[in-house]
Amino acid sequence: MNVQSTINGQAQARDVEAPVTLLEFIRDHLGLKGTKEYCHSGICGACTVLLDGNAVSACSLLAIQADGHEVLTVEGLGTSDDMHPIQQAFVDNFGLQCGYCTPGMVLLTKSLLDENPDPSREEIIRYMGGNICRCTGYAGIFVSVEAAAAALRAK
Amino acid sequence: MCAAENARVTRLVGQSMPTLEAADKATGRVEYMGDITVPNMAHAKIVRSPFAHATIVSIDAIDARALPGVVCVFTRDELAADPDIQPIYGFVYRDAPVVATDKVRHEGDIVAIVVAETEAIAEQAVELVDVEYDELPSVMDVEAALADNAPHVHEEFFPIAPELNPVPGTNICHQAQIKKGDIDAGFAEADFIYEDSYSAPPVQHAALDRHAMISHVESNAITVWTNCQSPFPLQRELQRIFGMPARVIVPYVGGGFGSKSRDRIEVVITAAAKLARRPVRYVMTQEETFQTFIRPAYSAWIKTGVKRDGTIVARHHVFTVDVGAYAISGARSANNTLKVATGPYKIPNAVVDCYAVYTNKPPSAPYRGLPTTQHTMSYESQFDRIAKDLGIDRLELRRRNLVHEGDIHLTGDWLRNAHTHECLDQVTEAISWDKPLLQPPGGKIVRGRGVSSTIKYTLTPPREMSENSAEIALGEDGIFEARFGTVNIGQGSDTTMAQITGDALGVGLDLLRLVHSDTGRTPVDSSTTASRSTYHMGNALVDAADKLTQQIRETASLMLERNAAQLVISDEGISVPGQPGQGLSFEEFVRRSGGPVAATGECLVGGTYKAPDGKEYPIASTFWTFASCAAEVEVDTETGQVRLVKAAASATTGTAINPHSIETQLEGGVGQELGPTLFEQMVWNNDGQLINPTLMDYPLPTMQTMPQYEPRFVEHPFDGGPFGAKGMGEIGAVVVPGAVLNAVADATGVMLHEVPLLPHKVLEALDAQSGAQA
Repeated sequence: MNVQSTINGQAQARDVEAPVTLLEFIRDHLGLKGTKEYCHSGICGACTVLLDGNAVSACSLLAIQADGHEVLTVEGLGTSDDMHPIQQAFVDNFGLQCGYCTPGMVLLTKSLLDENPDPSREEIIRYMGGNICRCTGYAGIFVSVEAAAAALRAK
Repeated sequence: MCAAENARVTRLVGQSMPTLEAADKATGRVEYMGDITVPNMAHAKIVRSPFAHATIVSIDAIDARALPGVVCVFTRDELAADPDIQPIYGFVYRDAPVVATDKVRHEGDIVAIVVAETEAIAEQAVELVDVEYDELPSVMDVEAALADNAPHVHEEFFPIAPELNPVPGTNICHQAQIKKGDIDAGFAEADFIYEDSYSAPPVQHAALDRHAMISHVESNAITVWTNCQSPFPLQRELQRIFGMPARVIVPYVGGGFGSKSRDRIEVVITAAAKLARRPVRYVMTQEETFQTFIRPAYSAWIKTGVKRDGTIVARHHVFTVDVGAYAISGARSANNTLKVATGPYKIPNAVVDCYAVYTNKPPSAPYRGLPTTQHTMSYESQFDRIAKDLGIDRLELRRRNLVHEGDIHLTGDWLRNAHTHECLDQVTEAISWDKPLLQPPGGKIVRGRGVSSTIKYTLTPPREMSENSAEIALGEDGIFEARFGTVNIGQGSDTTMAQITGDALGVGLDLLRLVHSDTGRTPVDSSTTASRSTYHMGNALVDAADKLTQQIRETASLMLERNAAQLVISDEGISVPGQPGQGLSFEEFVRRSGGPVAATGECLVGGTYKAPDGKEYPIASTFWTFASCAAEVEVDTETGQVRLVKAAASATTGTAINPHSIETQLEGGVGQELGPTLFEQMVWNNDGQLINPTLMDYPLPTMQTMPQYEPRFVEHPFDGGPFGAKGMGEIGAVVVPGAVLNAVADATGVMLHEVPLLPHKVLEALDAQSGAQA
C-alpha cells in the first residue's frame, strides 16, 4: 500500500507492506535514523515522534496510520549548527549522557511545551514520566525542560 | 606518569562543559550500532532455548535452510565441521560454547543462528528450526545449586584468569577468601556479636541501546563493529577462536552499565558470518537483552564483633554470587569485591569468604559497581542495627570506625585519598541531617533518614604493568589527533580525555581531534569498566602529550636554533617568549619535519606503594574511591509504598576534570540504583522461565520516581592521577540501597534485610512488627 505523509515538512510517498510500523517506515524506508528503538512495545519512548503535533510511540503505530498526516522526527527539529531551543536547552543543562533517549525526550518536550508553555513542576514530571532514560536519573532532563520552556516563552 | 603536576597550567581541566558530542546527540545525528549498515550485509536471528536446562536430542534446520532468502543456518553441526573455529569461548572463564553442543544451560541459551536477506525472513526461519530437547532438572538459585545431589550446570571447569578457583564436583565455579588479623581473637575480644543475613535478586541493566553488531569475515581478517565495552579483550578472543587477525570497532554506545563488558554475541555471530561469507548484522530485541546478561542474585551473612564503645573488632562476611549459566564475568566480579567487602572501616580482624555459583539463570555481568553495592547495603544496614542496640548515634558509630588516610586496608594497602569523614559530612549536611525531620500529621505517612558509606576498587593487575596506552599525533593540518581505546558509553569520556589532552599539550579544543575505541586505530586498553578510564587513559594521554611536546621542542630547537627549554607550545604553535614572529605554526613544523609526528603514552599500574613511613605496601587497587549517601524517604504505612524523597551522594573524585559532568554521574548512579532498591527484580518460575521479560511487567525508574538529588564531590587531588583525578562513574549507585534501607528503618522501626522494598514486603514487615508488639 502507498503511504503519503508530510515528514519534517516534506511530502513523502512510499509503497510499504501492511505490517510495516511507523518506526520501520521512518528508520528503514526514509533512512531517518535519529528515531530510536528499544522496547518495541510502546513503553520506553525512545521512538517518540510527533504525529500532527502529538507525541506518539512510532513502534506502536503502523506506517499506514501516518497516511495523510504530518510527522515530525528529531531531524526536523534542528541541526547541530542550528539547534531548536529545546535541543539547545538539553545540551546546555546536561540533559543527556549516552544520548539514546534524547531524540524522544526532545520531541516529548516539544509536545508538552506546545500544549502548555509554562508547565508546573508536577506537570513536567507527569508528562515527561512517559519516556525512559537510564543515564541521567532525570535531573538534567527536568532542568532542560524548564530551561526550554523559559527560552521559548522569551521568544 | 606525569611528574610535575604543579607546573601545569589548566585551562580545560576543572571546567564544566557539555560533552563535545552533545549537540549531535540532541539532534539525533550520532550513529549508534543499530544505525550502522555495510554494503551487502545479511541479517541474523538466534534460535534460543525455551528451557533452563535440557539435553539437545536433535536439530533439524532443513525447512529453515529451504526458505527463500535464507543464507545459512549455523548449528553445532557447522561448528563441528569447521576445525578452524575453537569451540569454547570466554576471556575470564572458558565455559561458553560458540553454539550449544550437548545441552542448553539457561532460557535463551544460543542453539543456532539463522542468516537471511532480511530480518523478517531470518525471524521466520527461526520458527522453522526444529529442535528436540530432553529437559533436565534445573537449579534456579544458589541454594538449589549448592544442595546435595544438585544437578551440575557444567561437568568441567576451565578458568582462564589465574585467580579463579573452582570446586570440582559442585556448582561452585569460584571460591576464595581474604583475611586480616586474627578473627577468633577479635570475636573473643568483642563485647557484643551481631549476625545478619541480607539478599538482593537479579535485575536488568536495561541499556536502551540494545546489544548489536556487524561481523565481516574475509579470507584472512575479521572486522567486527559492536557496541561492547571491552574491544581489546574481544579482539584477542576473536583472534584465538578464529585464528586470524581481528579488528573491533566500537561506535558511540547508548549505555552499558556492565551489560556490554563481556562477550556473548560477537564470537557467535562471527561464526555465522564466516559461514555466510558476507557481512552479517545482528540486533537483539529487548527481550533478548534480558536473556543475555543480568545482574546476579546476591546473598550475604555477616557476623560482627563490637566493643561496648562501638569499636568494631572483628568481622566475618560470607557472600554468594549467582553467576548464572556461564562464568563469562560473574566469577571474577565476585572475586574482585573481596577487596571491599568489609567497607571503609578500620576492622583489625576480618575474614571474607566468596562463593561464585553456577545456576540455570542467564549469565551475569557487572552492574555499575556490583556486588560492592550489595556488600555496602549489607554492612551498612547492620551498622544501624548495632548503633540502635548500643544506643550510639548512627553517625557517631560510623565516625569512630571510618578509615583515615594511611590506615591499612583489608588487602594490606596503605589507604590514600581516604576522605571518608568529609564524604559523610557532605551528605548529611546536604539533607540537613541536624534539623529534626518533620512528620506529616495523621501517622499514615512516616519519614525517615539513613546514611551509608562505601569503598570501591578499580581493576588492578597483580604485578606492575601497563594495561593501556594512548597515542597523540600532530598531523599536516596542524591538528593533534588523540587516539585512545576508551568507549564513549555516555559517561563523557571523549570530553574528559580532550580536557586532559589539551591541557597536557598546552592547546585548546579547536586544535584537537579524537579517535576512540577502534583496535585498528587506537592502542590497547583493557576495558571501559570499573570506573577506570579517567585515571588510566587520562594518564596514558598525559604521558603521550609529555613525550610528544618534548619531541616537538627538541626538533623545533634545531629548526629555530633555540634552546628547547625556551620554546612554548600553545594555540599559536611553537613560539619563543618575548620574540614574536620567531616561532613556527604547527603546520609549518610538520612540513619541515617531513611528516606527522606522534608519541605513545602508557599508564603503569600495579607493583607496590612506598608510603610516607618509608615502607612498601601492596596495591590491590590503583586507586580507591570513597563515597557516602544520605537518603530521606517517606513510607506509606497503609500501602507499604516507599518513596525516595531526597538523596545526597558524595565521592572522593580527586581533581574534578569536568565538575558538572561528575555531578550528573552521581545523580545518574543514584537514579539508576533506586530502581533495584525500591521495585526492580527479575523473577523466574520453577521451570526456569523469566516471567517478566518485557517493560510491560518490568518497570524502570521514570521522572516520577526522581528524588531531589544533592550531588557533592570531595575534591582533593590524588597523587598519581591525571591532573590529580580518580574514577567515580559507578560510585553514586553503590551507596543507595544501604542508605534507603536505613532510612526506611528510621521511619518505621522495621529493618528489612533485602531489596527491592516492594510494598507487600514492607507491609508484611510492618504487620510482623505490630504483631510482635501486640
